[in-house]
Amino acid sequence: MTQDTRVQDFIAAFEGLRAEVEKVIVGHREIIDHVLIGMFAGGHVLLEGAPGLGKTLLVKTLAEGLELSFSRIQFTPDLMPADIIGTNIIVEDADGRKHFQFQQGPIFAHILLADEINRATPKTQSALLEGMQEASVTTGGASRPLPSPFFVLATQNPIEMEGTYPLPEAQLDRFLFKLRVRYPAIEELNAIIDRTTQVRPVRVERVMSGSNVLAFRELIREVPIADHVRALASTIIMATHPMWEHSPESARRFIRYGASPRGAQALVLGAKVRALTQGRFNVSVDDLRALAAPALRHRIILNFEGEAEGVDTDTLVGQVVERAEAVTVQGKEAFVR
Amino acid sequence: MASSDTLERLVRRVAAQVRRRRIEHYALRGAFWACLVAVLLLAFKAALAGWAPLLAGGVVAVGALGGALWGGIKRTSVADAARLADRAWGLEDRVATAVDWAGRSERGPLVDALIADTLQRVEALPPRAAARRVIPRDGRFLPIPLALALVLALAPPIPLPSGRLPDFLASGVEEEQPEQRSGSMLTDERSRPTPKDRLKAPSFEEKEFATRAGGTGAAMSGDLSAVFKDTALSGQRPDFQSFLKKGDDRLKMLEQADRLPDLQSDFTTSQYKMMFRKSKALGGLRPDQISPQKLRELLEEMERLGRKGGANWQGDAAEGMEAMEGGQSDRGMAAMQRALDKMRAQDEAARSGKGLKGGRENSRGGGNRDKRVGGGEGGGPDDQDFGEGEGLLPGKGRSSSPKGEATQRLRGSPYDVGVEGESRRGRKDGYDTNMTGRAGQMGSRLQYLGVIGQYRKMMEDSIARESVPRDFHEQIKDYFQALDER
Repeated sequence: MTQDTRVQDFIAAFEGLRAEVEKVIVGHREIIDHVLIGMFAGGHVLLEGAPGLGKTLLVKTLAEGLELSFSRIQFTPDLMPADIIGTNIIVEDADGRKHFQFQQGPIFAHILLADEINRATPKTQSALLEGMQEASVTTGGASRPLPSPFFVLATQNPIEMEGTYPLPEAQLDRFLFKLRVRYPAIEELNAIIDRTTQVRPVRVERVMSGSNVLAFRELIREVPIADHVRALASTIIMATHPMWEHSPESARRFIRYGASPRGAQALVLGAKVRALTQGRFNVSVDDLRALAAPALRHRIILNFEGEAEGVDTDTLVGQVVERAEAVTVQGKEAFVR
Repeated sequence: MASSDTLERLVRRVAAQVRRRRIEHYALRGAFWACLVAVLLLAFKAALAGWAPLLAGGVVAVGALGGALWGGIKRTSVADAARLADRAWGLEDRVATAVDWAGRSERGPLVDALIADTLQRVEALPPRAAARRVIPRDGRFLPIPLALALVLALAPPIPLPSGRLPDFLASGVEEEQPEQRSGSMLTDERSRPTPKDRLKAPSFEEKEFATRAGGTGAAMSGDLSAVFKDTALSGQRPDFQSFLKKGDDRLKMLEQADRLPDLQSDFTTSQYKMMFRKSKALGGLRPDQISPQKLRELLEEMERLGRKGGANWQGDAAEGMEAMEGGQSDRGMAAMQRALDKMRAQDEAARSGKGLKGGRENSRGGGNRDKRVGGGEGGGPDDQDFGEGEGLLPGKGRSSSPKGEATQRLRGSPYDVGVEGESRRGRKDGYDTNMTGRAGQMGSRLQYLGVIGQYRKMMEDSIARESVPRDFHEQIKDYFQALDER
């Protein structure tokens, strides 16, 4: 199979899966693309939006389009880690001997929907940490691998903050992207009404298997990236740090902590997937620009002044990217220097 | 390898374009600055004779060539050229990535696909320039010094300053020629006061004023009107000599500028005030400060003013001068004091005659003058005067103290204005006050009932605007309430 064929297969699979999701989800093309990019990049995605915007439906539909196991956890304050990971229970065999047997929790699925993740306590939220990073969980002294591919899609509501537990930075950093689900436009709203209030059963086809997903993940890692593009990615990450000498003024003023190296990984991996979806064999500067906000917005921690001023992290990321491009000499007149 | 050759060709092509643009760019910059130097050279072409245009042209050529050389030797890296090609043709970093990865040994299978894809796109590229022309900012202004240089090259040389003193002799000879032609007219014209004369100090003008107000004053009043009179030459025969003579007469009259009325001193300032200013200019009239020299100058000034006529102190001033010439300073001081008293009395009489009320009269209740040390009335320096303190001069006042003694009024009550009061018990505690002293005896000029409502409204506005501290609101309201109860 030639490389062209592999890439074409990927594009076809990507577009097929997107088409299946769009059978149910109206609009949100960018959100769907970013969710798929996150999945193919091997990361996890956090969806943030007001109730009723279709976050949960999007994840359920995506799971239906893949030949993968799916489980959903509704996070509540009384949820315990064992409720997610599983627990050892005593079972009796045919000989009458009793022994502990591990009862798997809902985390043992290919696609895990962690609905309203910020409603659970930090202790329970932390139960996902190891699984998201290592694709395995440790319980009873034994490490148990999670099925591959393992993909966590979490949702949270930014409005109802009463009785919620904001995700700690370590947990946030484990999400490849944080996507903001915005309110649909009026045309999309009309389509949603039509699609959801009439008797017209929508059947989502399974267009991709787990092995396909894993194969595409390997393909994505082969996408070459030029030195100057990689340097730009690193510069973007560095420019989110207020102490860096070339950081923009806004970053110095409003940011307490900048993005971690995981941010750079997320940025480059996402850019590679985006390049392939566009039929390109290389990562371009445009890919970095397009994915900087979803990859970095949850990795930037504002200081008190930033919080008080209500600074939008997306705006900050935009300024950081602009500054990074200036630092890495992307100016149009660079040739005369 | 054919693939890498194609990419290298593309990169070389772009690099060559970049070099050309750089040559243009830096040549323009060099030409601009060289043009500025050329303008300087051409501005001084009088000193450079015929070499200036050649030198200027040479400098411009060297500047442009130097800039071009600098642009030409600047190196363009392969990566930069590749990135520029990507941007120019919208190749989304394909060329830069392909060039970067083409030489690597560990390249993956997708790199070959990338190179193939890039080659395919490069071969289909339209033949257009990748590097656009960038005109430097100083290059945009190049036409200005260029045009200036051209104008200067075509224009006659700018005369340079010689650096030696002007030849007064030569100009004097030139000026003598018209004099010979027109007789004495220009001779008189040259004898006009020079600008230096016109800028004489005011005190000097005042001294000259005494001369103009001297014995010939009556005769000169007719001459002054003649200066402004219409001579109606049209009715006379055209006689050039008489015309010149009349002109000479006018010029002579104008030369006697001190006979013209001194508007400032005659109409806006009294003689007494002038004396006061003069004394201030000399450092004051305090007995411990006054010297015989100052005294003499004041007496001279007084005498000068007295010559204007109508002054009854002229005799005193003359007596003072005589005493000073005889070395009797005390007599001179006494004479000056008498003259000042008379001058002041005359000044006040003049003001009363005009129906003008001086500040002193106002404060004294209309002519009830007491001969004590005045002070306190009037704000500006022009309203000040010596006062009538007899204690001003040692041995002449009632007190030996230079400041004089307190007035009778102040002895009787050392406070001009005072407030006394007592607490009042009632529904609301209050405090009744009365003014004492002279101010307390004066009736209020405002009717209580006419203004109390207005003040109440101002109070309410102030409280509403929060211009009064909140803690005082109740106290202020209570005060107005107490006024109502009374």
